[in-house]
Amino acid sequence: MFSSSFRKYLFICKTRIIRSFTYRFDVFGNILMQTIVMVTTAFFWKALFQDETFRNGITADNMMTYTIMSSVLSVLFTTGVERRIQESVEKGSIAIDLMRPVNVFGMFFAEDLGNLIALLFQNLLPILLLGSLLIKVPTIVSVSAIPMFAVSVILSMAINWLTAAIFGMWAFTAISMDALFQVKKHLIRLLSGSIIPIWFFPKWLAGILNALPFVYIYQLPLDIYIGSASNEEIQGRMLIQLIWVLILAALFYLFSKKSLKKVLVQGG
Amino acid sequence: MITVRDLHKEYLVSEKGKGLGGTLKSLFRNEKKIIGAVNGLDFHVNKGEIVGFIGPNGSGKSTTIKMMTGILTPTSGEVLIDGRNIARYRKETVRKIGVVFGQRTQLNWDLRLEETFELLRRIYQIEKKDYLDILEVMDSILGIGELLDKPVRQMSLGQRVKGDLTAAMLHSPKVLFLDEPTIGLDAGSKYALRKFIKEINTIRGTTVILTTHDLGDIQELCERLIIINNGVMMDDGNLSEIVERIAPYRTLTVEYYDSIVPTHPKAEILSAADNVVRYKFMKRELTAARLISDLSSLHPIRDVGIEEAGIDDIIRIAYAKTVQS
Amino acid sequence: MKKVHFCLAHHLRVTMYTIKMALLTIIEYPSNILGWLISNPIQFLLGFATIKFAVEQFGEINGWDYGQLAFLYGISVISHALSMIFFVQGWFMGYYVIDGAFDRFLTRPMSVLYQFFFTNINIFGFTDLIPGILVFLYGCVQTDFAFTVSNVLGIIVMLTGAVLIRGGIYILLGSTSFWTKSANDFGQFTQEIFDKTTMYPLSMYPEAMQLILTFLIPIGWVSFYPASELLGMKTLCSSGGMGVWITLAAGIATMLAAGLVFQTGLKKYESAGN
Repeated sequence: MFSSSFRKYLFICKTRIIRSFTYRFDVFGNILMQTIVMVTTAFFWKALFQDETFRNGITADNMMTYTIMSSVLSVLFTTGVERRIQESVEKGSIAIDLMRPVNVFGMFFAEDLGNLIALLFQNLLPILLLGSLLIKVPTIVSVSAIPMFAVSVILSMAINWLTAAIFGMWAFTAISMDALFQVKKHLIRLLSGSIIPIWFFPKWLAGILNALPFVYIYQLPLDIYIGSASNEEIQGRMLIQLIWVLILAALFYLFSKKSLKKVLVQGG
Repeated sequence: MITVRDLHKEYLVSEKGKGLGGTLKSLFRNEKKIIGAVNGLDFHVNKGEIVGFIGPNGSGKSTTIKMMTGILTPTSGEVLIDGRNIARYRKETVRKIGVVFGQRTQLNWDLRLEETFELLRRIYQIEKKDYLDILEVMDSILGIGELLDKPVRQMSLGQRVKGDLTAAMLHSPKVLFLDEPTIGLDAGSKYALRKFIKEINTIRGTTVILTTHDLGDIQELCERLIIINNGVMMDDGNLSEIVERIAPYRTLTVEYYDSIVPTHPKAEILSAADNVVRYKFMKRELTAARLISDLSSLHPIRDVGIEEAGIDDIIRIAYAKTVQS
Repeated sequence: MKKVHFCLAHHLRVTMYTIKMALLTIIEYPSNILGWLISNPIQFLLGFATIKFAVEQFGEINGWDYGQLAFLYGISVISHALSMIFFVQGWFMGYYVIDGAFDRFLTRPMSVLYQFFFTNINIFGFTDLIPGILVFLYGCVQTDFAFTVSNVLGIIVMLTGAVLIRGGIYILLGSTSFWTKSANDFGQFTQEIFDKTTMYPLSMYPEAMQLILTFLIPIGWVSFYPASELLGMKTLCSSGGMGVWITLAAGIATMLAAGLVFQTGLKKYESAGN
């Protein structure tokens, strides 16, 4: 039996699923747009690679898989938590949100989870299918890589959500958040390997990026998927990924305590 | 000034299923239904009239106002402003009208009030001299002068409504449409607004069309009422004439010295409690003086009070009629 | 003729004033501008740098070397920036439709489309202009592009056409909200698709797609064809030295089509509430 508090989150989750299915045009429009972006990126790599092979044995074919899986992952990394916090603060409804008998971040998390479940069917599957049809079937390098890939993706999602929530909490202090959210979006887009893998980056830059959390969102699971790194290397990087999850979780905990207190003192 | 002919507006509404199953289904197929919001309205408004447009929420009142101001395109029929079809000749016809929506401002939130006015001056191509003249008039009626330098976001609702009224009057429109202008206003601002409507109507001869739920607005301002419900006209006429027709009765409240209930052949007893009895009687059949003298001949009376059927009775009756039909 | 002149002067006066209002608004919120001044250059300069890393590994992409790519990328970002200043509202048209925000424009004696864009000029768009110009100048130096009178005129004509094409497509996409009655937000995807198709040589895509983006949707004319011509590159369809003028013509045609679709949609506009 579900406990009653879990039920509450379940309800929030379900409302989100229904809401995101409501606009049929948005659903089809989104799939179309995401497919176009995916296919054009694939052609970019085809044109760049021609028949050449990159230094660590990567072929154009690997890059096709990389591109499709990156699009698929981007669906899993959709979050609304920063927007929700910002809206809640701007409209002043944060005080009401805080008074509800559920943890406010728990609520945002449940909403994102609900969205995600809807997105699995309305975005992820169609994109995977269209990618397989239009580009190629993105097969994983080996069956044995599946569990590692799965674990790594879950850790990636944790990093992604926690980063979003931490950024969102800045909305409690700053007035104009739009630009900041954009900065975060572009940093993740360009420095996480989501479009261009960081093997292409100069050594010194790749070194710096390996120390930052961004590459552990896209690059690591994708490297596992296409098999572009040795097992030892992967294990080492997954350890760093796990450490980043823990660091971000601690930061999240700290910030959420602090910003909630601030709201309560100010009275929202 | 305004002619509305056989006006219709239909909406195509898609029906969404309930629950998760319903939403999933409507992803692929959804049912469409035509709903008639306005179903054949005909009326004419003369120059210089103040007309109250009333009706319950969802009556088609807003839709009608929006068609009269060129916002919505009628499904069929036409609205003529000063002889011109507003749907067809929007740009030249809207020059003749001013519109204020009570819940929506056209003032630029971030800037001083005067910035919005200056923008409107350029949009409507108003000469500087005319612009200053009208500002002076508006200052004398609303005291807008002291607000010109104030950023709109720092204004109270009352001040903002004053700003919006001035904005709507800058180009000296022949007709002014006010959609629930007094909503949320305090007593002082309401008074200022009603004074403004009366004055521009007498000084400038501006025709005013007003929608409101506020009975005070109607009683104080409107010479004529148009009552609309379910997209059709329920009543159209002079306020007192509508009262005469829909509610031709009065109520007499009599307080006796004892707890008794004397009856009268031509008066109906509405209620009786303690020493107080309320009688309802038709104006045509009986005068109040007659009723009082008849009753006092039966029992000694301590006090009396007479009530006319109020505007709220009219509206209640008019709305109730539509529910039955 | 006199009437046209009068009408033009009217629009110009209103536009000048809305620009003044936009500048005044920026002064009211200085922290906003700072945010965009950081975020937009990061996006494009970083984006440009990452391409550089990838392309450097292989030397060139479809015969375009790095300097030529910079030239193309720069032009694409500049036209993007200009479209952000004048037409960014198109991305949010859906919200206006659902929210009933066209009511106000409809009660004023000017074109609704004109008011929609020009009473909301987005001066912040110039923050995109900075990285665009920087990358473009870098490309000019790398390719030894000569700033002759005809070249400069060509760039101006091309940018005008490019902005009109972009703006027209924003309007076309935004207008769908009149029919769908939902606040479709195509902003992010529109930008990604424009980025993918105007920042890189169109020749890297299959011929069918090139043909669609040349004749059906004039995206190829935003940057690829005119830039190829200015740089002397070969393309699938030769524009016969008229590339920049075709861009302008395509821009005007797209805008006209967009205006027509918008006007048709506006008849279906339902305002907000009942």
